[in-house]
Amino acid sequence: MDVQRFTTDVVVIGGGGAACRAAIEVSENGLDCMMLDKGRPGRSGATPCALWSIQAPFGPRGRDNRDTPDQFFEDMVRGGRFIGDQNITEIVAFDACDRILDMERYGVHFKKYDDGRFYQTPMPGQTYPRSCFMIENGQHMSTVLAKEVSRRDNIKVLKDFFVFGLLKNKDSVVGVVGMDMLSGEIVAVNAKSTVVATGGYTSMWGFSDNPPTLTGDGVAMAYRAGADIVDLEFNQYYGTDVIWPPSVRGTVVLYELMIEEFADGEITDKYGKPIIDKPLPIRDEAIKIIFNTIREGRGTEHGGVYFDTTKSPKGEEKVREVFKTMTPKHYQFLIDAAGIDLAKEPLEVAPASHYQCGGIYINERGQSTVDGLYACGECAGNFQGANRIAGTALCDTQTMGAQAGSCAAKDAKERGAAAIDEKDLESKLGVLKNFLSKKTKSIRPISIKEEILSTMDKYIAPFRDGKGMKKGLSVVESLKGEVPKISVPNIKKYNLDLMEAIEADLMMDTAELTFESALFRKESRGHHNRTDFPETDNKSWRCHTIATLKGNKPVYSKRDVIYTRIKPEDVK
Amino acid sequence: MEKSVIKASICRYDPDKDKEPYFQDYEVDVAGPVTVYELLTMIHRSYDSTLAFRTYKCYKGMCTTCIVKLNGKVVKSCATQVEPNSEIRLEPPGGGQVVRDLVVDFSKM
Repeated sequence: MDVQRFTTDVVVIGGGGAACRAAIEVSENGLDCMMLDKGRPGRSGATPCALWSIQAPFGPRGRDNRDTPDQFFEDMVRGGRFIGDQNITEIVAFDACDRILDMERYGVHFKKYDDGRFYQTPMPGQTYPRSCFMIENGQHMSTVLAKEVSRRDNIKVLKDFFVFGLLKNKDSVVGVVGMDMLSGEIVAVNAKSTVVATGGYTSMWGFSDNPPTLTGDGVAMAYRAGADIVDLEFNQYYGTDVIWPPSVRGTVVLYELMIEEFADGEITDKYGKPIIDKPLPIRDEAIKIIFNTIREGRGTEHGGVYFDTTKSPKGEEKVREVFKTMTPKHYQFLIDAAGIDLAKEPLEVAPASHYQCGGIYINERGQSTVDGLYACGECAGNFQGANRIAGTALCDTQTMGAQAGSCAAKDAKERGAAAIDEKDLESKLGVLKNFLSKKTKSIRPISIKEEILSTMDKYIAPFRDGKGMKKGLSVVESLKGEVPKISVPNIKKYNLDLMEAIEADLMMDTAELTFESALFRKESRGHHNRTDFPETDNKSWRCHTIATLKGNKPVYSKRDVIYTRIKPEDVK
Repeated sequence: MEKSVIKASICRYDPDKDKEPYFQDYEVDVAGPVTVYELLTMIHRSYDSTLAFRTYKCYKGMCTTCIVKLNGKVVKSCATQVEPNSEIRLEPPGGGQVVRDLVVDFSKM
């Protein structure tokens, strides 16, 4: 197999908010950067799917002058149910405003009051309204960041580029290997620092609201490279994603818009009875309520609840105005793709997989536990804790994205160059060669992928139990044995089946780690709800779950949470 | 239940193997109207593992990654429905060089 080779100072894997911000910071530090995007810059990952909300504690420069970075810090710590690492939470809370101002400089438009203060909306989990309003939502943010990246001569972007392995030389990560989907070429990039910003793995579930490309490649690769992986059992669902009809399945419908200030509608059971009280609870609480309603047999025909604005005291026209102002694209998309007008009819919604709180374990510099390897954004783990509050994911991409980029760059300046270990590269290519080889009895990757997706849906649901998870784990184990039997057509350019085969291979590890982490933690907290251990056990489990590769199997351990400003014993 | 079918004639082209583009016909069983995006995923899943198209979707009709030419007109495949018992023609959307089948290397971001 021919391999094209590149050398750079810092390589960033990803193309969304965190990856772009990290690459920009590397460029600011005067170093060369390569950004390897699985899709099209500005149109890949979850960032384009985001809505308007990105939190920053502007206080007197925003909506409520009582707000402070300390308050933002405290909101995130409480929201995370006290297992977010506060050394990282501090950076997010205290850098947020500056990073928003950076975004503005790059060209993102924020809604402002006439006097120039930032307009901010209230969202559950915020003591004071703190969500800044990006007028053209996450899509515009992605486009602007991608443009900023392209402006800089010292960032080279490879698009439609699927990274499938981290390359190691002894104990350090020295670069990556990937496949250029457009040309079909295999490429190895040798770098002094490698930043993983590959996003979450929400699309390992069948019912998800993230693009199908988000299969958690980064977490699996980092695990295989020996990095500690943290808190994979905290899987955030979004409570009200469209479940029917299929053409719009997975589209987000914001339950946060049901408050009096906006549409003043109701989430109801199949009989039309409202099930969620206002003030609206934060996500983990809302999901529990919805999930229980469905479980108790009061769900709709297709397994959801109703998102119903028809009985709003505001009337159809005012409700339509709300959607057209706050989520115009979603509103129109539902009409175009399914003929549904949100202001006129109830919609069937249910909890779908939405975000991963855990991931690659990092310190406040964005460093993983492996030399040369950094992580930021959703693929990094330990700051959201057990539950993420709205508006912090985008904030994380900009604050920790810049931080990881900066530290990766500074370290690259100190670190000498280390060559790629050719044996390691060969072993990674061997997996591909196997997929491309003809077999008498072969399997298509999509059949394995579909089984993982339905296994995750079934056994790692908002509510889970030991018996079910053990079943799910055994399915994953048996699928692992099937992966080498995959055979894909021998096509060079844009080989979808080959891409899915590699995804299926990587997903095996992430699925196994998720099941085993969820089995390891014997309590319920935030987004990890075990019906066989329904209580929160702060004596034994106010800690992280760590998974590390030892030999060829993962080992699990507890690790202390880092508390800086707020110790759990100091608060009620 | 009445069986419905959508007949799709899709432009295929692999620059490594084909001298020029040609059309391949598919007959897909459907239960009701489906978006073009859904149709392509169904073909990929059950009819033809070699068909190339972009799978990214943004769930709100904004990113335009999914655009194709449907019966001569460029549309977003995620937001355009096709009725059962209809015949359609799908081609790459333009806006860049054809990589393979319906996948185009968009020259602008």
